[in-house]
Amino acid sequence: MSSKINHHHQNDKTNGQIFPQPCPHLADFHARNGTKPFRAIQDCLHIKPPGGRAAIRRDSSEVPRCGVCGDSSCPRLYACMACAAVSCHVPPHSSHVAIHATKTSSACSHEIAVDVDRAELFCCACRDQVYDRDFDAAVVLAHTTSIIQSSKPENLRKRRRIDYRPWSPDLRERSLMVNNASPIDSMSSSNGDLPRGLRGLNNLGNTCFMNSVLQALFHTPPLRNYFLSDRHNRYYCQSKNGVRLCLACDLDTMFSAIFCGDRMPYSPAKFLYSWWRHASNLASYEQQDAHEFFISMLDGIHEKVEKDQHKPRSQGNGDCCIAHRVFSGILRSDVMCMACGFTSTTFDPCVDFSLDLEPNQGSSMKTSSTKSNHSCNCEADGMNSSQNCGISTLMGCLDRFTRPERLGSDQKFFCQQCQVRQESLKQMSIRKLPLVSCFHIKRFEHSSVRKMSRKVDRYLQFPLSLDMAPYLSSSILRSRFGNRFFPFDGDESNTLNEPSSEFELFAVVTHTGKLDAGHYVTYLRLSNKWYKCDDAWITEVNENTVRAAQGYMMFYVQKMLYYKASEKQGTS
Amino acid sequence: MIESGEKEKLMELLRERLVECGWKDEMKALCRAYIKKKGTNNVTVDDLVHVITPKGRASIPDSIKTELLLRIRAFLASAAL
Repeated sequence: MSSKINHHHQNDKTNGQIFPQPCPHLADFHARNGTKPFRAIQDCLHIKPPGGRAAIRRDSSEVPRCGVCGDSSCPRLYACMACAAVSCHVPPHSSHVAIHATKTSSACSHEIAVDVDRAELFCCACRDQVYDRDFDAAVVLAHTTSIIQSSKPENLRKRRRIDYRPWSPDLRERSLMVNNASPIDSMSSSNGDLPRGLRGLNNLGNTCFMNSVLQALFHTPPLRNYFLSDRHNRYYCQSKNGVRLCLACDLDTMFSAIFCGDRMPYSPAKFLYSWWRHASNLASYEQQDAHEFFISMLDGIHEKVEKDQHKPRSQGNGDCCIAHRVFSGILRSDVMCMACGFTSTTFDPCVDFSLDLEPNQGSSMKTSSTKSNHSCNCEADGMNSSQNCGISTLMGCLDRFTRPERLGSDQKFFCQQCQVRQESLKQMSIRKLPLVSCFHIKRFEHSSVRKMSRKVDRYLQFPLSLDMAPYLSSSILRSRFGNRFFPFDGDESNTLNEPSSEFELFAVVTHTGKLDAGHYVTYLRLSNKWYKCDDAWITEVNENTVRAAQGYMMFYVQKMLYYKASEKQGTS
Repeated sequence: MIESGEKEKLMELLRERLVECGWKDEMKALCRAYIKKKGTNNVTVDDLVHVITPKGRASIPDSIKTELLLRIRAFLASAAL
């Protein structure tokens, strides 16, 4: 039995990361070896493709062997930090590295060693892994020296923040408010059971694709707040001089109409006409794709703003227009050369996440793939049992989205270090989360090869609350580099400034029927109740109805912007 | 086999397969459960390796074992020529 040595590592929390205090032997090592004790190791750090893990080798083709027994096949070989002697460690049978550690002399101690295949520190005296910030920084540096980023990309610069100043109205302001406002009807029972802001939209001829997306947008908290607080005033809007159209103004008109309290279904004819003028290629009475409409609409709101010279054009920050302020996030794409390990990173803004449905892993394919073979038992092992039982989930799709993907031999990427096209590994992650995440499930497959399109009807399970933390660049990179301290990107991930990664579902756009003859319906979540918006008809429904529906676009808002179960009508 | 670098390649392949089939996640969960039971300050790497190894070895899917064995056999056959 390996001896258990109890050591209480005190944990010190800085920046949300836990830094264990070094064991006495590590502290001793630091004290004896000056300010850069791991400098010598840096030259021996090699990134081994194709996996990209860091290894310690004197030259890249070295095969390490235990100095005592000559074995090179044991799983854990350690190199002493003091004298570079390699020893094996196979408890409980033998630990040549522990024996080596006893050779402490006054000049240097041989207690700290490094795992040659994993580049992780080990204290032979404590018989346990230890962590050191400087060492981990050296490992990370070895991974990233190839990324030549002289200046941070523009859309990552931190935005100026304004200090919070509390405000309460003085007498004049108070009278202004009272005289120019009318109180929300407190006799809400006269309006029926429906909360404010729910109003049907008439179908103007296969326009359910538009109605469904509009319903979701009307109840997107930051967007709703923006328009209802008069941030875009359709009477004073500059873009509309004469004939020119402004989609944001038309949207403002609709917000006023939807929230005014009138329950008769509204006809968004003027908006439809404006949108046709903007997206003339989609102007017809044919059924369109709801997602395409969504993108086109965001583009329309943005375009009108671009004419204004004063506004910045960068989309990543969201400073350009309300559409990007609400929906825009930043995606990080890492492409790693499989031959030399060089990684190239790019950042791109995005307004939504288009996810592929997982390939069929239902019960009909039990024997073929390893995955179903191993895990179709659905044992509650604390694992994602739903994934193993063959049900596709939103998180499963996100896992696929951020999984490293091998780019085929026909998609070779030009490696700057090798100076030739090489096979590479690509991995996506989310650098910055938007305020509202729209997940678009690719259910309509258009195959240009076979000249046909088809719809994927497979059911997708989606949660009401979603934590996006595992899909952030910080998490993905952390798992790539292993168990290390990770000063992220030179940009301190101060938990105070970063918005949280928790999201709440508030709208689901569903599609039923066939590719060319189908119907869109939106489910809205208000005050923790669900409402079905089917063109002009709004009805309250059970949560299970929504869960069973075929999700096409799911809208999640950051939890801090979402007001949950509140029974009072006025606060929804 | 080690000197030719073949072992490295096979190790990488094995790692990929084990991640794909969920074995790695399973082991991670087992480790977490063990650490939770013992307390974070009372566990060493050696402990974990000692406890997890038998479970890990037992739960590797047969298809992966087969694939690796075939590849090793093929390599040895080609090296013997």
